[in-house]
Formats: sequence, C-alpha cells, structure tokens
Amino acid sequence: MFTLPQEESRAPAPCPSPASTQDLDSNYGDGLERERSRKPDWKLPELCDSTTMLSPDSSYLSSRGRVIKWFWDSAEEGYRTYHMDEYDEDKNPSGIINLGTSENKLCFDLLSRRLSQSDMLRVEPSLLQYPDWRGHPFLREEVARFLSFYCKSPAPLKPENVVVLNGCASLFSALATVLCEVGEAFLIPAPYYGAITQHVYLYGNVRLVCVYLDSEVTGLDTRPFQLTVEKLETALQRANSEGVKVKGLILINPHNPLGDIYSPGELRDYLEFAKRHELHVMVDEVYMLSVFEKSAAYRSVLSLEGLPDPQRTHVMWATSKDFGMSGLRFGTLYTENRDVATAVASLCRYHGLSGLVQYQMAQLLRDRDWINQVYLPENHARLKAAHSYVAGELRALGIPFLSRGAGFFIWVDLRKFLPEATFKEETLLWRRFLDNKVLLSCGKTFECKEPGWFRLVFSDKAHRLCLGMRRVRQVLEGISQVAEEPPSCQTEEPRSRHRET
Amino acid sequence: MSHRSDTVHLPCGQMRGQGLGNQGTHTQPVEVMLHVKGTLEKHMVQLVAMRQQQDLVPEEQRRHQATGEQEALLDSLMYQLVNLLQSGAAGGLGLQPSCPSLDVRGVVGGGQRAQSSRWPDQPVHQRNDPEATFVSQHLSNRGIDISALFQASFQDYKLYQGDKYDEDKNTLGFINLGISENKLCLDLMTERLSQSDMNVIEDVLLQYPDWSGQPFLREEVARFLTYYCKAPARLDPENVVVLNGCCSVFSTLAMVLCDPGEAFLTPTPFYGGFAFSSHLYSKVELILVHLDSESTAAHPRLFQLTVDKLEQALLEATLTGKKVRGLILINPQNPLGDVYSRDSLKEYLEFAKRYSLHVIIDEIYMLSVFDESITFHSILSMESLPDPNRTHVIWGTSKDFGISGFRFGVLYTQNKKVASAVSSFGYLHGVSGIAQYKLYRLLRDREWIDRVYLPTYRSRLQRAHRYITKKLKALGISFLNRGSGLYVWINLKACLLRLWLSSVLRPSLLHRRFLDNKLILSRGKTYMCKEPGWFRVVFADKPLRLKQAMHRFYQVLETQKLELRVKQPESAQCE
Repeated sequence: MFTLPQEESRAPAPCPSPASTQDLDSNYGDGLERERSRKPDWKLPELCDSTTMLSPDSSYLSSRGRVIKWFWDSAEEGYRTYHMDEYDEDKNPSGIINLGTSENKLCFDLLSRRLSQSDMLRVEPSLLQYPDWRGHPFLREEVARFLSFYCKSPAPLKPENVVVLNGCASLFSALATVLCEVGEAFLIPAPYYGAITQHVYLYGNVRLVCVYLDSEVTGLDTRPFQLTVEKLETALQRANSEGVKVKGLILINPHNPLGDIYSPGELRDYLEFAKRHELHVMVDEVYMLSVFEKSAAYRSVLSLEGLPDPQRTHVMWATSKDFGMSGLRFGTLYTENRDVATAVASLCRYHGLSGLVQYQMAQLLRDRDWINQVYLPENHARLKAAHSYVAGELRALGIPFLSRGAGFFIWVDLRKFLPEATFKEETLLWRRFLDNKVLLSCGKTFECKEPGWFRLVFSDKAHRLCLGMRRVRQVLEGISQVAEEPPSCQTEEPRSRHRET
Repeated sequence: MSHRSDTVHLPCGQMRGQGLGNQGTHTQPVEVMLHVKGTLEKHMVQLVAMRQQQDLVPEEQRRHQATGEQEALLDSLMYQLVNLLQSGAAGGLGLQPSCPSLDVRGVVGGGQRAQSSRWPDQPVHQRNDPEATFVSQHLSNRGIDISALFQASFQDYKLYQGDKYDEDKNTLGFINLGISENKLCLDLMTERLSQSDMNVIEDVLLQYPDWSGQPFLREEVARFLTYYCKAPARLDPENVVVLNGCCSVFSTLAMVLCDPGEAFLTPTPFYGGFAFSSHLYSKVELILVHLDSESTAAHPRLFQLTVDKLEQALLEATLTGKKVRGLILINPQNPLGDVYSRDSLKEYLEFAKRYSLHVIIDEIYMLSVFDESITFHSILSMESLPDPNRTHVIWGTSKDFGISGFRFGVLYTQNKKVASAVSSFGYLHGVSGIAQYKLYRLLRDREWIDRVYLPTYRSRLQRAHRYITKKLKALGISFLNRGSGLYVWINLKACLLRLWLSSVLRPSLLHRRFLDNKLILSRGKTYMCKEPGWFRVVFADKPLRLKQAMHRFYQVLETQKLELRVKQPESAQCE
C-alpha cells in the first residue's frame, strides 16, 4: 500500500483537510458501507508526487490506476474485517453486527414476496436485446408517473426527462463528467455521505468543496448543523479566492447522515443561491419515501411551483433506500435540461441495467396499491419502531443525538467519550466498537469537522439491533468519560434538540 | 416548463418535416452552393472559437476533433448536393428520397419521434446548431464532446430503435444488419430464462454486493471459463471481476492501465466500440496498426496481423513521443471473423512481453465459432502465458448467448492489482443481484448449453452464414469467408459511386443509400479500416428478416450500378 505524503498539498484541496495527520492506510468506519467511503485525509492523490505512491509491483498500473486502487484498498480494511466475520444468528452468533451500512433490512420479506409474484417473471426478446440507452421507454414512463405522484409535482413529469441507470453512484459520476471540466468542483454541505467524493472523482476527476456545518447553534440557526445561504456564500467565495471553479451544489434531502429535511423555504433559498451564481443543483432524494415520522413534512424539489432555475436543477432518486434494494442497482435522473439528459444518456452504455430488471422495476413502481397499502405503511411502522428503540437506548445511556424522522440512521454525539477532541481518538473509539463486534461509521467518513460524531444505522431486524446496541453500550460503559464536561454549548444543543414524539 | 422547443433546427434552416426532396428552397444548385459556402464560413468561425475555449485539450486531439467535425459537416452537405444533382441529371432513375424516419436530435426524443428530415448521418455537433449554443452552456466541454460523439456514433442505432422492422407490425421499418447482435436464439434464451429456477429472490441479492461480483457468480464464471476455454488448470474465482458489460470492463482497464494521452496498439479493422470507450471516459489514444486488404506472397491471408506490423507501429508511435501501454486483440476478430492460431497468439504475446505491454484480449465471440474445421484457442488455454501479469481477458454473454440487454461482462486477470483497481469501479458498473443470480443459473447449466443451446445456435449461425454468402457470391461481391462471429466483412469498393467525391466520402454515400432503403450496415470507417469500401454485414438474424434485408441490399446495389453507368463519364473529368 502506498502512503501519501504527509505535507499538505499546495493545490486547492477539495475539502481542506483538518490538521490531523493520520495514517492513511487505516480505515475509518464506514468501509462497510459498500458504497465505499473515502479516506479521511484524502488530499488530491494525483497531485502528490507519484513516486511516493509507487509500490514496486504497482508498476502495472497507470498513475491514476494507483490512485484508484488506493481508494479501494483504503476502504478495504473495515469491510474485510466485517465480511470475514459477519454475524449470523445460527452460524456465527459472535460475528460482527453491522450498524454502519445504510441499508434497510426491515422489509426483505415484503419485497421478496412482491418480486416473486408472477407478473415479475416476464422474459421478452426485447428485454434481452440492446436497449434504448437512457432506459426502456416503458420504464421511463413508469418512473415519470411514479415521481409525479410521490413527489407531488404540480404538473405531470415527462418521461423524456428521465434517464435510468444502474444506481445513483453512476449518476453522480456521469453528472460530474458532463457538467464539469477536470479539476472543477461541486459545493457540498458537510457532514455528507462520503462515497460521493469517490463517485465524482473516479471518472470525472471532479472535487468537492465542503460547506462545513457545526453542531453549535449560532446566529440565526435554529438547529445544529444547519445549512444557511450565508454559509454557502462563504464557502463559495473561499473556493473562488483559492482559484477553484465551482460548477454546482449537491444537496441531499432527506439528509444523510443528519436525517434533516429541508423546508420548502430553505430549499428555495438554496436554489436561489445557486441561480445567482449559475450553479447546477443536484438534489439527491434517495430517502424521500423513508420519512417515517408523520410530523416531518417532506417536500421534494419536484413539488415546488416554478423552480428558480429548472435548466440547472437535476433530481436523483433510486430504489436502493426507499425500497431497501441496494443490490438491485436502479437509479434515475430527472432533469428538464435536454442537453444534460442527453449527455448523461451518452454515458449510459457504461451504466446500463439489465432489461429483465428494468421490467421488474416498472412492475414494482406501477403497483401503487401495494406500495401505498402494504409496503409504505409497514416499512414506516418498522422504521419508526426501530428508531424509537435505538433512541431509547441512547437516552438511557445519556448520549446526545439528532433525532429526525427520516432515513435509516441516527447521528450520535460521542464526543464526551474521546479523551481528546481528535480524529485519532475518534478512530480509536471506532476500533473499539469493531473489536467488540459492532460496526459503526465515524464522523470523519462524512467529512464532519468535529471529531466524535458517529452514524448509527437502526434499520435492521430487532434481534440484531438489540445485540448491536448491547455491544455499543458495553464499549461506552467501559470508557470513563474523559471529557466529563465538554463545552456546554456543544453537547447540550443536540440533546435539547430531541424531537421525539 | 422546458425551454427547448420541439422544433428541430437543422443547420441549413430547414424546418422539420421538410425533406429535401419535397421542398422548393434548394432546388437550385447555385443556391445550395451559396448555402454550403455560408455554412462552411460559419463553421470555420465556430472552429476558431472552439479552439479558444479548449485550452485544456491537447493540440493534436483538438485538431483531430475539428477535422472530424469538418468532415462530418462536409459529408452531409455533399450528400445533399449529390442528391440534388442526381435528381436533375439522372431523372427518373435517381433515388427518390424515401425520407426515413430520422430525428436529427433524436436522443432528445429517445428515438421515439418519427419525423422526416434529410440528414440521415449527420453527427449532430451541438455547436453547429445556433440554438444549441445557448443550451450547451450547461455542459462542460467534455460533456458536449461526449454527447456529440455518442450521437455521431449511434445515429443508425437510434434510427433503428425508433423504427424497428417487424414482420407483422412494421414491415417498412429498419432492418439492422449493422449492430452485432445475435438474434438467432432469442426463443431458446427466452424459454430458458423463464424457467422457475431463475426466479429466486434472496436477501443477499437485494443488498449491497461484493463490488467485484457476487462470489457465487464469480465461482461459476471461473468454472465456466475453465471448461470452455480449456484452461490447463482451474481458473481462480479471485481473478474474476464482474461488471455490467464488456465496454465497462474495457473502460475501467483503460483507466487503470493508462494515463490520459497514453495509448494502446490496435490492429485495424477493429471493433469501433472500444474506440468510443477509450475516448469517452478514459481519454486513451489508439495507435492503429493498419492491416492490408491485399494479399502478398509473404502473407497470403488478407488483413493478416504480423509481429512486423506491430513492431513497426510501436516504433513509429514511440518516435512521435507516444507512450504505448498495451495491445488490444479481439479473438475471434471483429469485424474480420478471423480466429488466431495458437502460434500467432503466442507471437503477439511474446511481442507484448518484449516491450512490457499489457495485452487486453477480448474473447467475446469465443463460443460463436460455427465452422467445425476451425479450432478456437482461448488465451486461457495456454500452458504458460508469456506475461501473465500483463494479460487480461474479457468475455461476456452478449454475443455468445445473444443477451446484450443483460449487461454482463467479465474480466479475468491474474494481476491482483489490476483486478482490485478495476473492482473499485464496481459501484459505477454494478450488475443487479437479480441478474447476477440468473446468469449464475445460466452458466452452470452445462447440460443445456452443450446439448441444446450451442448445437442449435451453431447450426443456425451456419445456415445464416451459408445463406448470406450464397447471396453475396451471386451478386459478385467479394468477402472474407471465415467461420466465426455474427458477421461477414464484405468489399463494396466496386459499387462506390465515383463522382467527384473524395474517397472518404464515397462509402458514406453508399451507406446512406442503404439507410434510405431502411437497411443498416456498418461501414469500414467505423472499424477504422484505412481502405474505403469495406462493410460489415451481420447475419445472425432470423431467416425472414435476413431475406428481406438482402432484398433491400440488392436494390441499392442495382440502383447504384445504374447510376455508375450514367455518372461514369462525368466523374472521369472530376477526378
């Protein structure tokens, strides 16, 4: 494995890395998120002296190949550990419980029953042949109808604005490639789902500029980690002054890992900001149907009357989260910009999805009765139950956390368990969890700037969840809370922000 | 809400629906010439502007691109002119413009809208379109190039998608003998894939997979390749990476083996899809090793690849400062249908080893060898590979099983670094768990493959090949008679309209003639064949369609012949 040089790169960094200098060969947390998470201290590997990255037998690879492999290796450790020792009720009860990967494992029974029904099993010659690369027309029509309904769009959405590909990762990659030149950047509020860094980098060579949010509620903020236009403006200005060309803004709504839902007012503010600066906005709404708290009023960007800049607004959705099928590899783009749709479709040859699976997706999405009457109510009820169980456990442990009504995870504040507020300590704690056979994702993976935050996934079966939480508790109870009295403004905030019903 | 109108703005200001044949504006050749002049001037201005924008693009590439665009534009204009002149000169026997359903900006409509316009093969470079200039501000330069390249490369395909021939419903639709798709066994595949063992839904199939492929599938692929490639030892599942198609495999290999601007050696004629792939994402160059269509005493075989030619191409590339990282081979070859002998293979591999070149070998047609007298030698059957760490094999089910819509491709490499670097692209090229399971069931059903599928498939291939070669012979058309693949490589040089067109433009004119007759063939240029006049004809189609296609083929050639007779005297002056 290569080690990147420790000195800061002089070139514009995607996310200026914090002062910590950590061993890059170690893995942090979310490696299990098979949507490969990034290295914590990732600094533009390709700008580093390539000789330092050249281990003897890597001479087979190009220099970008070595960087790409480094991504793979660096995410590997946690993942390997987990996969060598996966928990299994019968066969491996002392194996690792995975509360790190954001997967919904609560509804496999419903899904496998639905997917096994006879209407799913159709095989037709046209499904076996080369497709329309932007997706079979029947599927794009179904997606447009589906999104019109569930996003509550003011007018019916159009099938020709839909492009289907094999997952949102591919979509990020394709959008980065067709919207940015090499080395240009997207703004993204941090913490964020870290795998995006890699999605936009691998093929596109596009960077992310972080808009750092913090847990402290200051100024006009009403909640921790609140995104404001002011923060967006500051980050954009800073990037501009460093000579980084920013082409777009990535929003995740409902947010991963915070679980935040943007209000229509906020959404509009962000979109207006983007319009002012002629930025594309990519809105990742992959958790849109995973809002399990009725009081949380979610609004898709597609529901807004009169988008500020429709030609620069691109919406992403997939079945991975909302239908708990991350292995199915189905993602979709909705954009009114024909040129963007066409350019993305031009890359679909590389990001295609099997015709048979496209057929199944169309069948699934059109079964509104099953979705509304069976799947969604049950899924939400199960998510809610799992969430309240974990929230209760955390409260009993006196651990602050953000409690939102969306997503599969809780953003947990474990800062008081770090002897020092460093990412090194955060990693040590992460390892302690792993040693105790429970896997969490640590904040660094999400580019959170404060050490000590963890994402805990609760969308798992009760027995695994209970065992996982027991193991979490064991670790935390074994740690004397070194930082007994952390600055009150920081720990108190999240605690006071509980919004359980 | 869309800002784009649906009107298609053609470069010459034609309105949609006004095919050249039925509109009055351009009936005067002078007027057309003036228009050509104007368009070219405008085009030149745009080219200059483009150069200024594209400081990041290497000089050479830019020039290449500009030349390509100019050529494409000229191509269309000339076609327009030629047709006009002909409709005047040749009178009744000139082709009546048949207005195929075309959509210049067809991708926009998903190829669904049928409309008539007379610009069949124009690569739609959006920068040529005044209206598009505004909209394209939304895309990066490379985004614009990707779109343009795609539209230019898949023009025919798009036509076909929008207007497929159907013996009952659309007898006037396009018959596609251009795309290498195996349509001979869709009945068998449909039946096999409908069996109940295919329909298993398990948790693991719905969860995030191992990005190099589900372990059960990689094991099956290793077993399958061990058997069908006749590997001397069992192949290792750890060396298998599964992605959604061979183009994805090639694209990722190009990424991890080459830096931008570095190159692969590629004997031509050569499958154009790889050229497309190397441009799109990875920005890798191809150094073409042109093979000769003439047989010589030393090399009686047409288009024979020799180590001398490889050596020479490598030397020339190195002298011009190109860094060559590898050699790409396709075996059985596409579009020639050649199957390399074991000795030739070994020579190519030894050559690559001498210069530390990677060898990417695409064996996607390995089970499509239908001539029983020919033995296919997979590279995996060799006792010892000269340079195993630089030898990477690609295979997929698209051709051999005729399921191109399945999106499944395999990399087999002993080089762990390469395998893991390619795997890091797994989530960008992932295959659905459900599809992985079906493939696993398919590949493991050795009995069905050996007893039912392969015998039927090969005999149907043979029959189709026999039919098409008989027709070609009857028409006096020369072709390469090989025993593999889904296509024949034919020589239509004699049928090219001579006129005053450049040698480059003549085949595209003929190609358009085929299109006008709703027949899609792919021309030599697509395969980077240096000599104009060669076409690839895919014959792996149902007998009925094949017959209909050959009828259309015949018609075009007949018309062409008549015109040749009329035009010959004129063209003599022009050349």
